[in-house]
Amino acid sequence: METRVNNSLSVAQPHTKAPQWLWPLMWGALLLGSVTVMSAAEPLFRWIEPDARQVIYERTELYVLLGRHLFVVGIAAVVTIIVGVAAGIAVTRRWGSDFLPLVAQLASLGQTFPPVAVLALAVPVLGFGTLPIIVALMLYGLLPIVRNTLAGLQGVEDDIKTAAHAMGMTPRQILRQVELPLAAPVILAGIRTSVTINIATAALGATVGASNLGDPIISGIVNGNMAYVAQGALTIALLALTIDSLFEVLQRQLRTCFSAS
Amino acid sequence: MIELSHVSKRFGDEAAVDDISLQVPKGKFCALVGTSGCGKSTTLRMINRLIEHSEGDIILDGQAIDAYDPVKLRRRIGYVIQHTGLFPHWTVARNIGLVPRLLKWSATDVQYRVAELMHLLGLPVDEFGHKYPHQLSGGQAQRVGVARALAADPDILLMDEPFGALDPITREKLQDELAKLQARLHKTVVFVTHDMDEALKLADHLVVMRKGQIVQQGSPLALLQNPSDPFVESMLGGLERGLKQAALTRVKDHMTSMGPTLPAQSRIPGVFSLRQALSMMLRDHCDRLTVVDQHDMPVGELSLRRIIKEAQLDNGNTRE
Repeated sequence: METRVNNSLSVAQPHTKAPQWLWPLMWGALLLGSVTVMSAAEPLFRWIEPDARQVIYERTELYVLLGRHLFVVGIAAVVTIIVGVAAGIAVTRRWGSDFLPLVAQLASLGQTFPPVAVLALAVPVLGFGTLPIIVALMLYGLLPIVRNTLAGLQGVEDDIKTAAHAMGMTPRQILRQVELPLAAPVILAGIRTSVTINIATAALGATVGASNLGDPIISGIVNGNMAYVAQGALTIALLALTIDSLFEVLQRQLRTCFSAS
Repeated sequence: MIELSHVSKRFGDEAAVDDISLQVPKGKFCALVGTSGCGKSTTLRMINRLIEHSEGDIILDGQAIDAYDPVKLRRRIGYVIQHTGLFPHWTVARNIGLVPRLLKWSATDVQYRVAELMHLLGLPVDEFGHKYPHQLSGGQAQRVGVARALAADPDILLMDEPFGALDPITREKLQDELAKLQARLHKTVVFVTHDMDEALKLADHLVVMRKGQIVQQGSPLALLQNPSDPFVESMLGGLERGLKQAALTRVKDHMTSMGPTLPAQSRIPGVFSLRQALSMMLRDHCDRLTVVDQHDMPVGELSLRRIIKEAQLDNGNTRE
């Protein structure tokens, strides 16, 4: 039986593989190009800032900044996914249902709180550097994940859960074999939103000394150099597009799992 | 053997099920009938401990169900619900093999059992095994639901309005199939429905419920002949009760041997019901039918007078 399921998937893949991977590969290639050979576009940036002494941001290599950016977003994502999904699971269990309204409100509070304000509050406590921005990103990225985990798990039909229960599945088996797989597309959509937002938001870290792709932007604003701003913004946008299109592929593959015939 | 004695279920102060006692002998088909909210589904769910009863004893094969581990108990009781509750992300074959896999059968045993059941329910494994539930029609999906319930060969089958969401034609077909299946497998079945015709058709033992209590129970024929109060009578179809009773009686049990007169034009197979015989008489404007066997050979005849007389006799007998 298992093999049959796998077979039907592997049959479905060749048709969709090429166009599926096209976008992430394209955005990824553009991103790599922009962080390695940005200087090639010097005439363009010179046109933006004809009077500046220097138009290509060179204080730190862009790919180093990209690495730091990914690190910050990645750590925040891993923590938010674990915390968010775990919280979503906990409050949809019978024993945790009392905390459902509380968790839902806390998560939305996290997002109504502007990240800049979180940074301002976090710096005195955590000091300058990478830590406050990770905390801000975690708070900010928690809502989409918690909200979608809740929606995904609550969206599993009662009939299906009742049947699972009545067939003699343990609560753990029901969660792992039925509820999570069925909620996965919705949860993944939440993770996608969270990570994509945080890629942009992480740039704020540059204001509190966390060096990342926000550096050229902040530096450009401070020095009135729009070319710097454009380079930072362009790279961040390309990063967001790459990651977002990767999620798109993931989601589509997940969907194939459900409807392969 | 399922035995409920003085079982109640209270939600707060409200009694959903109020002091019911009922026995389903091994291999018998028991139908719980009543209007919605009468506690029939609650009663069913108490048997596999989806709902815990508040008072009384529920005994399964001589042992109180509280003594069983609920998970193990449920794995040995088949359960079918109205909207199938099939897992949409699993193939048909995987859905059916669920309980055997929970019971840690070997992969080959599971595969063999799944194929056997799918064959039994008229769903060829090559055609349907790898399909997903959303690719099935309502009737096919419910067949899969029944196959899943039967997968680990449980002695007991609980069915909660299994055919309630199907169109009348599919419903009738599945009822016939279930009747045939039951004649072969002899499961102990508890079947919940609000459709009295369905209950009359399938059940050995009929339980009419209202407001959490059993109003009357007995064989379908006994209830039809002798409803205990107006509620049961209205459930049984009021004025149409006579026809429902006729539907339970087979032509060949009431036919007489061929008379000296010319055989009647209209022919009816002996396995048909008296109700169908009456309908045929109305349609063909006659008061006599020739009864035939499965090879279309005349074996007797049935007259309107005879049908009416039999009905009188039946009712007279039970009144005494």
